[in-house]
Amino acid sequence: MNFPSLGSRDFLKAIRPFAGLFVVLLLFALDGELRSLFFKGSNFKMILTQTVIVAIGAMGMTMVIVSGGIDLSAGSVVALCSVVTARLIEQGHGLAAVLTLAVLTGGLAGLANGGIITTVRMMPFIVTLGMMGIARGISKWLANNQTVNPESCCGADLCRCPGFSMESVSQFMAYEWSPTFFPLPDGVWLALGLAVVMAVVLRSTVFGRYVFAIGSNEDTARLCGIRVNLNKVAIYALAGAFFGLAGVMQFSRLTQGDPSVAIGLELQIIAAVVIGGASLSGGAGSIPGSVIGAFMMACLANGSGIKDWPNYMQEIIIGVVIILAVGMDKVEPFIQRLFKRPSSPN
Amino acid sequence: MKSWLLGAACAALVFVSGCGSQSGDSSGNGLSLVVIPKGTTHEFWKSIHAGAIKAKQELEAAGQPVKIIWKGPLKEDDRDEQIKVVENFIARGVDGIVLAPLDDKALVRPVETAGKADISVVIIDSGLQTDNYASFVATDNTLGGRMGGAHLGKLLGGKGSVLLLRYAVGSASTTKREQGFLDEMKENFPGIKVLSSDQYAGATRDLAYTASQNLLSRYGNEVNGIFCPNESVTVSMTKAVRDIGKAGGMVKIIGFDTSVQSLRDLKSGDVAGLVVQNPVKMGYLGVMTLVENLGGKAVDKRIDTGVALITSENMSEPDMQELLNPPLEKYLGTGN
Repeated sequence: MNFPSLGSRDFLKAIRPFAGLFVVLLLFALDGELRSLFFKGSNFKMILTQTVIVAIGAMGMTMVIVSGGIDLSAGSVVALCSVVTARLIEQGHGLAAVLTLAVLTGGLAGLANGGIITTVRMMPFIVTLGMMGIARGISKWLANNQTVNPESCCGADLCRCPGFSMESVSQFMAYEWSPTFFPLPDGVWLALGLAVVMAVVLRSTVFGRYVFAIGSNEDTARLCGIRVNLNKVAIYALAGAFFGLAGVMQFSRLTQGDPSVAIGLELQIIAAVVIGGASLSGGAGSIPGSVIGAFMMACLANGSGIKDWPNYMQEIIIGVVIILAVGMDKVEPFIQRLFKRPSSPN
Repeated sequence: MKSWLLGAACAALVFVSGCGSQSGDSSGNGLSLVVIPKGTTHEFWKSIHAGAIKAKQELEAAGQPVKIIWKGPLKEDDRDEQIKVVENFIARGVDGIVLAPLDDKALVRPVETAGKADISVVIIDSGLQTDNYASFVATDNTLGGRMGGAHLGKLLGGKGSVLLLRYAVGSASTTKREQGFLDEMKENFPGIKVLSSDQYAGATRDLAYTASQNLLSRYGNEVNGIFCPNESVTVSMTKAVRDIGKAGGMVKIIGFDTSVQSLRDLKSGDVAGLVVQNPVKMGYLGVMTLVENLGGKAVDKRIDTGVALITSENMSEPDMQELLNPPLEKYLGTGN
């Protein structure tokens, strides 16, 4: 796809999440208390760390939503993979094995989603709603209904054994307080790197264009010779892998596998993707937009915290932002007409 | 351009909507402390809040201005949310934190991070698996369990059969109460038989009710006394006992914590006694200890806030009344 030219409608749409974020930051800067407390390196570092899980989940979800689907199992899969991570560490697997297997678990859940959606031809909403229960149930089963706590130091000797991965996994999201922005936790770098890779994949590869084609019009895509089912399965599996990685990050953040974690996370992820300009009817959306959407929600939450706004206010604000972000689509043509009217009579 | 304008309008709206509720006070030269409960809706946490405000008022009267920020996790019982709250206040640079950790493990790292940022932390209510805090101010739950056991043993005259319905797997405070109860039975009441002590009720009242019914359908005919380790189990078990027509003192029930319903049951005689904690004192001592620690004074690593046994006989005494109906309005104002 060619890049939209400056000033065109597509361009405006593409920069909308950035503009939204900019406006939020600008308003924060107008407030004295926020200016001094919000705009600090250490604070931004923290917001970024808090964004990682939603952002990684949003990358997977963006693909699914752009292809015209939805994945409600994201939160449960994150919980499942955080428990799997904990169990694997407990069994003494190395970092590489833990990461691979946890991500694969997520991929497997996604594969099941995609497989059922395409072969049985069921609505993604229903299938992933079912998977939401299944994955949550399995994670509670695996965890024996408790949290799984791998020892952070299994005896003085074992602690030094290179295969023991608790320390390295829990280091991903270790928010170390420092007055400066750097050093950032590894999880943040990983998320940024993945965002760049996925943005390129979705924009400039054949697979990425297929995702858009399927989401825009599935029948046309099929008539054009795109193997819709195969691609759909790949999309859900890949998204599942992202939720798996988010699960590893969730483990790292809690330093424990918690089967009841991330309840409702899928809705936060969907909100981030939607704020980022995706359309739930498919065919539109971008990775940078979704990541910015996730970051914006974290900023709003952080800002509300600093301002001592009560929790309910925070929930209301984020709700309003979601509706406004999506409502923009409908309002914009209307406003454009209003602006054009004075100049059009001649 | 238009989209930008719209964006501005939307954010302005958001901003204005938020501004309405802002308190507008800035931290002057006093200490700014944050109290982080596990949740904000429960009566128990309101009492903790009242205790914290009580401490603030006394400190201010003594010439030590403090600002108390009260902030619970957005979603209750969500460890990740509570971590976020702690982190946000670390980044904000408060002087000290009073924290009731949702999990004894997951909150370790944020508390250690606070230590590195030179922020004093006092843990209240539930334990934490680290030593990096100034003090742990909480109920002695084992003692509470023993107290309940002793009262039940006395009521039964040292003989008969009792049941223990545990609360939930992995809950540290209730496990200690259950252990205290069982220890007391074993050591001081060898004539009492414990029929069952390995069943768990689960986290909600509904689950607890089902578990109680199941337990009573098996042991309902032989049981003389029941110990319930928390509020939801107490209320549900009492209801189940009432269902089988053994309420009103035929089966002696000892509960833990209070609620409107369990107090009603205590008054009507369905519940023989309730072991109660002192959350106002917990909030009060949490803040006081933190301020002492910030002032450079040595504080005890473990501070007990006490438990009391309430029965239908002593529940109208003024001491007990203060525990049962803490003067929340006095500290929190009528709006809360």
